[in-house]
Amino acid sequence: MRLLVVEDDAMIGHSLRTGLRQDGYSVDWVRDSAAAELATATTDYDAILLDLGLPGKGGLELLAHWRKQQNPVPVLIITARDSVAERILGLDTGADDYLVKPFDLDELSARLRALLRRRSGRATPVIEIGPLSLDPASHEVRLDGSEINLSAREFGILHALMENPGAPLSRSQLEDRLYGWQEEIGSNAVEVHIHALRRKLGSDWIRNVRGVGYMVPRQP
Amino acid sequence: MNSIRRKLLLTLIGAMSLVMVIGAWATYSAAREEANAIFDYHLEQIALSLRNQNFQGSTEALVGEESFEFVIRIWDRNGIEIYYSRPNRELPGVARLGYATEHTRDGAWRVFALQYRGLTIAVAQPLSVRARLAARAALHTMIPFILLLPLVALLIWLVVSRELRPLTDLAHSVARRTPDALDPIGEQGVPAEAWPLVHSLNDLLARLQTALQTQRDFIADAAHELRTPLTALQLQVQLLERASDDSDRAAAMADLKQGLERSIHVVRQLLTLARQEPGTGEPAFAPVRLADLATASVAAHAAGAAARQIDLGIAASDPDAQVSGNADALRTLLDNLVGNAVRYTPAGGRIDVSCGSNDDQAWLEVSDNGPGIPAAERERVFDRFYRRSGQETAGSGLGLAIVRAIADKHAARVELTDAPGGGLRVRVEFRKNA
Repeated sequence: MRLLVVEDDAMIGHSLRTGLRQDGYSVDWVRDSAAAELATATTDYDAILLDLGLPGKGGLELLAHWRKQQNPVPVLIITARDSVAERILGLDTGADDYLVKPFDLDELSARLRALLRRRSGRATPVIEIGPLSLDPASHEVRLDGSEINLSAREFGILHALMENPGAPLSRSQLEDRLYGWQEEIGSNAVEVHIHALRRKLGSDWIRNVRGVGYMVPRQP
Repeated sequence: MNSIRRKLLLTLIGAMSLVMVIGAWATYSAAREEANAIFDYHLEQIALSLRNQNFQGSTEALVGEESFEFVIRIWDRNGIEIYYSRPNRELPGVARLGYATEHTRDGAWRVFALQYRGLTIAVAQPLSVRARLAARAALHTMIPFILLLPLVALLIWLVVSRELRPLTDLAHSVARRTPDALDPIGEQGVPAEAWPLVHSLNDLLARLQTALQTQRDFIADAAHELRTPLTALQLQVQLLERASDDSDRAAAMADLKQGLERSIHVVRQLLTLARQEPGTGEPAFAPVRLADLATASVAAHAAGAAARQIDLGIAASDPDAQVSGNADALRTLLDNLVGNAVRYTPAGGRIDVSCGSNDDQAWLEVSDNGPGIPAAERERVFDRFYRRSGQETAGSGLGLAIVRAIADKHAARVELTDAPGGGLRVRVEFRKNA
């Protein structure tokens, strides 16, 4: 899952990026609205964390701009503006959730998971395909009831594939979802993680669609 | 209680009574004089009419009105009394002819005497009759006044009460004001005499409202701005808790320390600014030598500047540059300017602090060769919590607001210009006569 954090404060932005990466997201962090516009123009994000008090064009303006462009990306506002009127304005401008500073990092993660779950049209937090289940909150993956240990990257790839079973994702799409801008990607990093996943789950779960990419089947 | 109503009532009634008494006295005097003239003439007429009378008969018709108490006495040429109308009263003897005022045991008498063919005729009247008549006249003029006095008092009471009602209304409308509703008092219906009071009150209310609003804005801003460092702190603490190995933990701890330092800095700056806000009382002013300030401030920031390879020093120092001010506040002002310069000047830069004076003014100057501030932003950077975009360094957003507040207290002017080297030059000018 790839996230964009729009936050002008260096300390908050840095901590958010660190914390969200620990949760298995790939995170891009920008500090003003111009950089945010550029980022959304060039990259598809799964969700955006948006601070409102940005220098230059404000966060609300940015949000209105995305919505006007029919960009459906889930947006979670994180801001110090706590009045009811401001919350209403934020949500009515097109935000999907509103979190007032200071906030708890775990709560932020939970709200993000809820946003991503809603976006994929699922009601339950745990994704299940037959005997294979993946819990985005606890990072728990179970096959036939027994827990499978996955690295953060392996979990990220499996999560992305299980979000849309039956739909193949290309290597570059997977890279986009896994790595932020500043991260070095080895030329065959995705293949290495796919290989490890197949070894742990069995090769039936991760199928190669030649010339297109990888997918998790709807039925095992 | 010092009541205008009671005072007015007593003064007005007192003044009216005094005028009334003077009026009564004047009436009495005038009536007395008139009575003298009339009765003197009367005495003479009676005496003249007695010349051809036969004194065996009654003279009652002559004497007339009983209440005028005329007394007639007649002697023959041998001095033998041949007639005395009221022998029971003691009439004075005749000392001389014509008018005379005589005193006997029966009181003062007015006497008129004449001689005619050997007869001496004297007609007398007690003066008390005249006084009584005059007093009655005076009393008659006073009675309506005395009867009307309670009515007049009541009228005064009512009129004064009615005219004072705007004052009562004013008191009520002042009492209705609360710290939340300090709108000015309406000036309709206010009598001209109360205008200065209402104007001063409205003036005070307006100033109070401004002061309160400033405080409220400040608290709202402060609460809002404290959220940012606190958010960072909370995230940093959680990352520290999550850290699984030593290197993560060390990195998280370093971040947390920075976050804490920033929070402390913001709180300290907030308190400094709160102390400099208008209405926090005037500190004692004393002569302050700007050169001492510059030396102290440069010394305090030397280590921080050296750590960033910034050449911080005093460029020009004028030992005579002296201003009247609060040394602590001025030190805070200069520390903020030098601190800002150290924070925003890139490594390897140069910062010059100088002070000087001429006949009109004394000044402090801090110039650097950093990125400067574009002219368009030079007014806004003095706003509380204003942060310029694209700043790597996280300040409190309060430094220049503090500088402006302290400068205002010293009637000094703060000017941002381009430094010759391309950076920012901040100049604080103190007027000498201020």
